[in-house]
Amino acid sequence: MERDLAFLVPELLLAGAAMLMIVAEMARAARLVLAIGLVALGLSTVLTLPVLDADTSVFGGTYRIDAIAGWAKLILLPGTALALLMARAEIAGRAREGSVYALIVLVTLGALMLAGGGDMMVLIIGVVLTGLGSFALVTYPRDDAATEAGMKYLVFGAVTGSVMIYGLTFWFGGAGSTLFSELGALEGQVPIIIAGLIAVIVGLGYKASLVPFHFWAPDAYDGAPVSVAAYLSVITKAAAFFAFAQVLRDLPREAGWPFALALIAAATMTYGYLAALVQTNLVRLIAYSSVAQSGYLLMGVVGLGVSSIAVPAILIFAAAYVAMNLGAFAVVMVAGRSLGDLEGVGRARPWLGVAMVVFLLSLTGIPPLFGFVGKVYLFMAAVEAGYLWLAIIGILNSVLGLGVYLRMVVPMYRKPDAALAHGSVGAPLVAVLAVTVVATLGLGLLASVFPG
Amino acid sequence: MPLLTIATFLPILAGLALMALPDRSARIAHRVSIAATGAVFVITLAIWARGIVPGGFAQIEEMAWIPAIGAAYRLGLDGLSLPLVLLTSLLFLLSAIYSARVGERAASYVVLMLMLETASLGTFMALDGLLFYVFFEVSLVGMYFMIAGWGYEDRQRAALMFFLYTLLGSLPLLLAIIGLYLGSGTFDMRAWIDAPPLAGIAAMLALIAMFFTFAVKIPAFPVHTWLPAAHVQAPTAGSVILAGVMLKFGTYGLVRFAYQMTPEAFVQAGQVILAFGVVSALYGAFAALAQTDLKKMIAYTSVNHMGYVVMGVAVAALAGDPRIRTIGLDGATLQMVSHGLVTGALFFLVGMLQDRAHSRGMDEFGGLLGRVPWLGWAFVLSAFASLGLPGLAHFPAEFQIFLATLNAAPWAIVAILAIVVTAALYLRAIAAVFLGEANPKWADMPDLDRREKLVIVPLLILTVLVGVAPGWLIDIIHTTMTGLGG
Repeated sequence: MERDLAFLVPELLLAGAAMLMIVAEMARAARLVLAIGLVALGLSTVLTLPVLDADTSVFGGTYRIDAIAGWAKLILLPGTALALLMARAEIAGRAREGSVYALIVLVTLGALMLAGGGDMMVLIIGVVLTGLGSFALVTYPRDDAATEAGMKYLVFGAVTGSVMIYGLTFWFGGAGSTLFSELGALEGQVPIIIAGLIAVIVGLGYKASLVPFHFWAPDAYDGAPVSVAAYLSVITKAAAFFAFAQVLRDLPREAGWPFALALIAAATMTYGYLAALVQTNLVRLIAYSSVAQSGYLLMGVVGLGVSSIAVPAILIFAAAYVAMNLGAFAVVMVAGRSLGDLEGVGRARPWLGVAMVVFLLSLTGIPPLFGFVGKVYLFMAAVEAGYLWLAIIGILNSVLGLGVYLRMVVPMYRKPDAALAHGSVGAPLVAVLAVTVVATLGLGLLASVFPG
Repeated sequence: MPLLTIATFLPILAGLALMALPDRSARIAHRVSIAATGAVFVITLAIWARGIVPGGFAQIEEMAWIPAIGAAYRLGLDGLSLPLVLLTSLLFLLSAIYSARVGERAASYVVLMLMLETASLGTFMALDGLLFYVFFEVSLVGMYFMIAGWGYEDRQRAALMFFLYTLLGSLPLLLAIIGLYLGSGTFDMRAWIDAPPLAGIAAMLALIAMFFTFAVKIPAFPVHTWLPAAHVQAPTAGSVILAGVMLKFGTYGLVRFAYQMTPEAFVQAGQVILAFGVVSALYGAFAALAQTDLKKMIAYTSVNHMGYVVMGVAVAALAGDPRIRTIGLDGATLQMVSHGLVTGALFFLVGMLQDRAHSRGMDEFGGLLGRVPWLGWAFVLSAFASLGLPGLAHFPAEFQIFLATLNAAPWAIVAILAIVVTAALYLRAIAAVFLGEANPKWADMPDLDRREKLVIVPLLILTVLVGVAPGWLIDIIHTTMTGLGG
């Protein structure tokens, strides 16, 4: 018991901090809420380092302390801290400001549950915990758009969540255990594998915004504050992929599920980019682009179990995606929500322009940026798993993606019609931009820090 | 001293330093640019002085990068890359001097040029598959912004087409690199060359992927259509770098990757690749004949000249006799250098003409030889070189390529027809622009100034030197190619 709790220090710390944040919010001390959150996230990150190389599980195998869970913390916790700073920049001084911070930290706690889940029950707790907080975050602005988006998100989440719980009961029935490590017992029971798998794809695919479970994403991102959209687009999505990795790596590779996932991956990246090509609202544009990015991440999931590079691929691309997508959203916060708002930004604010170009090229997968390294790993995982055609579709979509991202780059260097305001960006956003640019540029060159 | 690394990264570091300077006026920016590219040129001369070794790579510089997947920072040189490195550093220096008149957002322009130089040198010197791809793609980004930011009328469309086309073109190479990696467990290109990791159908698929990538870059018919658009819209220095340096990525990759890493598949596909070369050479010549825009015409002659390079490499693979193989590869490599020198000069000259007249249409000029003798004679000399006149740079290269072709695949000699067509189109261009009745509109056109002469004269001297006494250059190339041929 004590050994188990010792491994859980980062999670416990975060849970305690979330409680404290709620208490502080009751006292309407928003700055204190933020400070508690940032300190707790920082401490948890540091405390993860000693157990990074541990490969074990706690509480009878239900919660895993392994490479996926460890690296997930190193990715999700700093990412959450950046999202808190972005939220601060956007909603400072508004009513219920602290609630947003507290909810964000709670959702991240759920994301950690997803990333470390070794048992069906933990998976369900993770899905519910991330879901509940996210619904509240989306409806924060309390206007019609946000309420509609929140309702869609809630209904979608409730239905997919129930389907998932229902389907998981098949696996429990077939394997005789709720532990994922026992899923090997399903070997040969194809109908049961399929039933449970459909459930997992529905439940996690919704969180990961895979086609065709992505409908909520553009509405929710657009209705929510930009910082919340940024947060949801990276943290809960990355967590869903970590959960995929935890669930599927022990599932027998039969019944053609890798092929089904490969089809979904291809559909997701293609649809995401095609839809992004026609958007004029920047938030929706990035929302569809992040749908497409989910398709790429799914390539890593397809390789699970056969390619030794599949898990590192998911981790590295997730890290890159968190950095570059948060950065792109931070630029949107400065520029504005419409594609037209980017007009001349690169000329008026050269550094902001360079930052955005770095993020967008990284999202396209241009070397030597971080997104490129992640994509190379994903392509290698897919090819090694025998899915050359998926890698080819991924490559063709990169070209489509370039079209999507250049639609944002080109207007930035046009002469603006009117003089642009030269307002200051504010310290929190400058910090976010600096960290994300350095990560996107630097970790591409120093990719050796990641596990291989 | 790690001269290769210094040469590669000095330009981009100078660019970053420029960005950090408080005063980023055009004067300062161009001084930084000329100083950096000049220093790199001197360093590459020192690299040349250090020399290369037969049968492998020399001056290797190595450092861990991503050990988990066997990717490392590896640079090195052989007789294929050294001439291209020298050509690259020379053309960037001349472009920097020529560009000193660019006033619009000069600092950004210079930073992009310097970034392109780093990417180009890195591409030729990289000995790691992943590193090669990184440099290869970075050059794409640099050129995109160069065309989109400083090009002519229709630059946005041309830049977008260039980027989409070449990105789509280069991604299959990534697949091939992944395939080579999965076959060998390392990204070390030396290992891939010494023991080609793929065989049978996998090797053929990798070859097809690589050939597609390099065919777009070279560019070979029918995937050449981005080239005229990009060239016409690009700023002059951009055109020079694009034609002089970046097209060589394609032919360099064809030898380094396709020929050396999937040798058996390359021999099997030799006739097909040869056919692509022949068609490109003929098509490029005839398409150039149909142009009235000088820049477009020169762009199409690039398709023609690079077609000869493809032919040289293909016949080297088909030839049974090692001596003939070496001749084919020697000729192909020399042709890359000659094309860089001659076409570089031609694009500079057309750029200078356009600076004066704001027009590139052949029929709008006439009798300029008497008005601007320096510009005129320089163009005539370069045009004669380009059409393959003996004594000028293209002759020894094309002679070797056709010699090897006649030996290994006689049918392909039909490509020699393209030389006649090229001669016709250049004579027509010279007649229309520089001879005939003087158009009074250009009565007070100034001749080349000192800076422009400084740019063009070194290229003309080298054109003649390579034509009359190519020994010094062929010796470098030959050192490596004897090993490749045998």
